[in-house]
Amino acid sequence: MTSERSDNSVIALRDNAEVAEALGRRYEAGFVTDIETTSLPPGLSEDIVRQLSALKGEPEWMTEWRLKAYRHWLTMPAPDWAKLRLDPIDYQAISYYAAPKAGPKSLDEVDPKLLETYEKLGVPLHERAKLAGVAVDAVFDSVSVGTTFRKELAEAGVIFCSMSEAIREHGDLVRQYLGSVVPAGDNYFAALNSAVFSDGSFVFVPSGVRCPMELSTYFRINAINTGQFERTLIVCEDDAYVSYLEGCTAPMRDENQLHAAVVELVALERAQIKYSTVQNWYPGDENGVGGIYNFVTKRGDCRGDDSKISWTQVETGSAITWKYPSCVLRGDRSVGEFHSVALTHHRQQADTGTKMIHIGKGTKSKIVSKGISAGRSSNSYRGLVKVEKGADGARNYTQCDSLLIGKRCGAHTFPYMEVKNPSAIVEHEATTSKISDDQMFYCRSRGIGEEDAVSMIVDGFCKQVFRELPMEFAVEAKKLLEVSLEGAVG
Amino acid sequence: MSQPAPSPFVAALLDAPLPASGIGWLDAARRENLEAFAAAGLPDTRVETWKYTALRALAQRRFAAGDAQADARDVDLSAFALPGTDGPELVFVNGAFRADLSRLRDLPAGLSLQPLSLSLRQDAEPLRFALAGRYREAGDAFARLNAALAADGVVLRVAAGARIAQPVRLLFIGAPAEADLAWHARNVVELGEGAELALVEQHASSGEQGHLGTLVGDIVLREGAKLRHAVLQDAAEGGTLVRRNSLHLAARAQAAVHVLELGGALVRHELQAELGGDGSRLDMRGVFALRGRQHVDTQLAIRHQALGTASDSVWRGVADQRARGVFRGAIVVAAGADGSDASLANKNLLLSGQAEIDTKPELEIYADEVKAAHGATVGQLDERSLFYLRSRGIPQVQARSMLTSAFCRSVFDDLPDETLREHLFAMLSRRLPA
Repeated sequence: MTSERSDNSVIALRDNAEVAEALGRRYEAGFVTDIETTSLPPGLSEDIVRQLSALKGEPEWMTEWRLKAYRHWLTMPAPDWAKLRLDPIDYQAISYYAAPKAGPKSLDEVDPKLLETYEKLGVPLHERAKLAGVAVDAVFDSVSVGTTFRKELAEAGVIFCSMSEAIREHGDLVRQYLGSVVPAGDNYFAALNSAVFSDGSFVFVPSGVRCPMELSTYFRINAINTGQFERTLIVCEDDAYVSYLEGCTAPMRDENQLHAAVVELVALERAQIKYSTVQNWYPGDENGVGGIYNFVTKRGDCRGDDSKISWTQVETGSAITWKYPSCVLRGDRSVGEFHSVALTHHRQQADTGTKMIHIGKGTKSKIVSKGISAGRSSNSYRGLVKVEKGADGARNYTQCDSLLIGKRCGAHTFPYMEVKNPSAIVEHEATTSKISDDQMFYCRSRGIGEEDAVSMIVDGFCKQVFRELPMEFAVEAKKLLEVSLEGAVG
Repeated sequence: MSQPAPSPFVAALLDAPLPASGIGWLDAARRENLEAFAAAGLPDTRVETWKYTALRALAQRRFAAGDAQADARDVDLSAFALPGTDGPELVFVNGAFRADLSRLRDLPAGLSLQPLSLSLRQDAEPLRFALAGRYREAGDAFARLNAALAADGVVLRVAAGARIAQPVRLLFIGAPAEADLAWHARNVVELGEGAELALVEQHASSGEQGHLGTLVGDIVLREGAKLRHAVLQDAAEGGTLVRRNSLHLAARAQAAVHVLELGGALVRHELQAELGGDGSRLDMRGVFALRGRQHVDTQLAIRHQALGTASDSVWRGVADQRARGVFRGAIVVAAGADGSDASLANKNLLLSGQAEIDTKPELEIYADEVKAAHGATVGQLDERSLFYLRSRGIPQVQARSMLTSAFCRSVFDDLPDETLREHLFAMLSRRLPA
């Protein structure tokens, strides 16, 4: 394991003119797919919410649910507590629905251009997916374009489909769980999402079933002037298990696009949910022009005893990330985990972390957060560990490490600890450092180039988190980090 | 934050006339700070720095303005004797300076020490920088109030190069009065280049009362100056005490701060330090031991502004019964403060199911040639240590008390003044659950 400490002597590589020239990262997913889309006109009103709901052929209760959320959203002020600099968002300038015009009936009918897009992104959407053994639900702009491996999953009793379909076909289940973890009025962006969410994934794993393959969703924002508001709901009944992966990209555009998603996880008795994210939304260019505003509410509810929810995230994209995947540890002996790598470069801003709410007895949580800041970016960890009165024997361990690459970036840590039970143990540790000269010298003296050395050291710094990712994602995450850090040294 | 009507707390304070000094800039500053206070009122828990300290109950209380009979209050100083501090001292009773109780004669060469009221009458100009400030942050209500209403306090200066051997004591005593009252003290401390001083700030009570005291101290250390600052807070059980000490360290200046926080019903302690000069160093050690329904909120804010600055803070807290301990330790390393070394540790013991600890260490780093680390824990006594003691025949209660005491005492191990250290230990032992 690489040492995360640094010493104070001057690093030799800084301000190296040649390397500075290499500044500017490649954003490989920055292409636009030229495809006809149907979209609602920009703007937000009760009418738009109704139209959206009608377009999707939703039942009455869903429309009402959305309207209630919308009315509540109108009463809420936009949050300003995060350590982020952003201009006010004009919610009337955004189109809340964009769908590829040729509505797909099945995977075979999906517009080949779309499939091409996903192929460029490396999403194994089609039959090739079999080789990868990953079932994929892909969301393009606002709607789900296809879900693979339905049959195999159905045999196991697992429901994996788009949220729109779930509302139509599994209305009772959706109605039972939707909004039960993240209520419609939970926060500003969750309320907005509840009103206008367009699609997303729905996963239901019945009692005793271990989902036979990894489930995956790929999100892509393509159309101009659209926001993406997807909603994911995963329910694991008693003794069930699922591992779910999520990836995201967007084309390079000059304006900021809004992404406000909500993810809800429900784990009943002894159920386990593993949720992994590789977030690579377009981060904007090196001057901070364009990029996605990523305001996401993710929360897991360990409702049953001995259940477990584990969040793993690799955040390299987005101009602004505002995201706190949380665990409500309600069941006795339930376990929450959060493993995160957040990398910011150029002018990116990230304010991310987690909340662990210990309610049940003997609950445990573990937080490992690795922040890497480069360029002129700002990277904050913000976390809450709360132990309620009844959480006898609760245990939390938090480790936050920050790595600074360059002189003009910032790395911040804001952990909150609130403990009301005397038998709980809560620990937090954080360090901030830069890549040490010793480490660089060691690598360089062995003939390893500057960039490779940095990437090796960063990889070591993140290893604890990468270990938690499913294999394909770990490889992708590592590559993403390399690309994202290009030109950071110097 | 627009409030329809000022709370009883604000209304009562606004009724009182501002202290008039006849000094234009000072009266203007007082007026503006009072206006700012009246406009914003007390902060609510949505203000980040007041997140864990609700002032709703305080806002409903009324405090009389100052104590007209402060000079006549009978106070037995021997009850607050501190062994080893028989040097210069300034005593305030209910915020009013008591010349009869103070010891200001035969001050050592290089030390100038007098009440603020006297300094203002003699030559106010040197105090302008410290007293003409405006407070603009949302959480600054009490600083504004203090700036508006503090008519007295301490002005302490140490001449360049002077090393003051005897510790200087500042004693703030709350005495029972006809009604609960509010007092405000303002301290201005300046150590010249290479000067050295040991300062003891003591808060005590000569009987049950529920006064509100606010204290704002500006402490400036010029190049190479060294300050040892000990704070012993054992205010009245029903008292409310809000203190803010701001430290400014020039190049190579060093400050060591030791704080023992025992008394008060509602206590807020803000310690703001700016390491503004290259190579300056700050060491802070603190303990709060709480019981009953005490609420003690400690807020450390350390700012590294210059090259090669160092700060090391260790804070420990014990909360028993229904007490609530709040701790925030924020470290900022500004851009360009290369070679900074910042560390902060906060450990807490939660001894009761009704008690609560809220802790929030923060790091904000804008420079990369730095070492910065912080840690915080909340837990209980180590079962194995308890078992070890019990297996050697020490009863449970005593074993717990020994371990709790050891947990707190270790923080003061590096206090160089042995008599003071022993006194702190004794105060602590009396306080901890037996």
